[in-house]
Amino acid sequence: MRLLLAVTIIWGLVAARAGAQTYSPQRPLPSTTSVPALRALATQREIEERFKIGIDAESRGDWISAVAEFKRILELNPPEPKGSTARYDLAIAYANLARYDDAARELRVAIALDPDFLAAMANLVSVDLSRGDLGEARRIADRYIATDPDSARALYSRGIVALQAGDAVTAREDFGKLLRNNPSYAVAHYDLALAEERLGRYDSAERELRAALSLAPAYARARFALGVVLLREGAHDAARVEFQRATVEAAGDPALQNIAASARDSIPVPERRL
Amino acid sequence: MSRTFVRPVLVAALLALLLICGRFAVAGAASLEDALTGALVPSAAPSLLGPITSAGRVGWECKPERSAGSAGWHEAELPRGPFAP
Repeated sequence: MRLLLAVTIIWGLVAARAGAQTYSPQRPLPSTTSVPALRALATQREIEERFKIGIDAESRGDWISAVAEFKRILELNPPEPKGSTARYDLAIAYANLARYDDAARELRVAIALDPDFLAAMANLVSVDLSRGDLGEARRIADRYIATDPDSARALYSRGIVALQAGDAVTAREDFGKLLRNNPSYAVAHYDLALAEERLGRYDSAERELRAALSLAPAYARARFALGVVLLREGAHDAARVEFQRATVEAAGDPALQNIAASARDSIPVPERRL
Repeated sequence: MSRTFVRPVLVAALLALLLICGRFAVAGAASLEDALTGALVPSAAPSLLGPITSAGRVGWECKPERSAGSAGWHEAELPRGPFAP
């Protein structure tokens, strides 16, 4: 009777311990007694589990926990593609903690480990724009386009970098190519118009802005830009109308609303004939 | 004060006033021009692509890598624009 009780208690403790285990069972079960082989299997298992925990942390916005998980994975020296992937995931957590320099460093290593890693290039351009490093952003964007010339994100990213850096010619090429595959993308029409405006091609800029506004009539920033282009073309009355509409449509953007109102008020109202 | 003295002073004062007004007008126009140019800002940078599992980027199941290589702006997860609901 005592023996039966002892067996029941031990079984219960073992079952309770197994229930508390959060790892899923591994299949097939390892069939080796070699200590180095078992250690390698344990490391591999830890990497897998930490990836799951880290990605779960990122999905709920717990970036600090995610950093801890991916840093631990990197301490375990995972083979490729796990190494570059862990650095990519770590960079996402760093970027969301506004640690942009750390994020950029991890993404650079990820790309060095896996030279065709498009998602890492895409994220490094975005991180570099947040850091204000237009030089590296441009180098990576060039590489991104060279690796995948039709990628919409590559074209958009380099176009934005080029506009920010004052290279309107490259921006014009990239947004033009992006629009050939995506003619209904209003944002690209707007950015192409900015490139055209900077090149002094006001007729083309006006055409692109009208295209953007036909796709998105409440696009206040495009409406404002159309007013500026019309002003440059000497169409003061039409510009005034667009600035007026922009002040109404930019209700959610007080800065744009103010500048649109100032621009509108700077243009004299035509005298009415009696 | 003689009339011969007042006249040149008045003319000089008027000229000075004209010059000052002109300078303010030019400065005002330049500052408006600067403000307009400064307000023509490029669209936002793309947001970050999401995390990748331990399987790595290779394979159809890797959504971030597919987004990074997609030719379509929707799948590329590009900014929808400030006008989007």
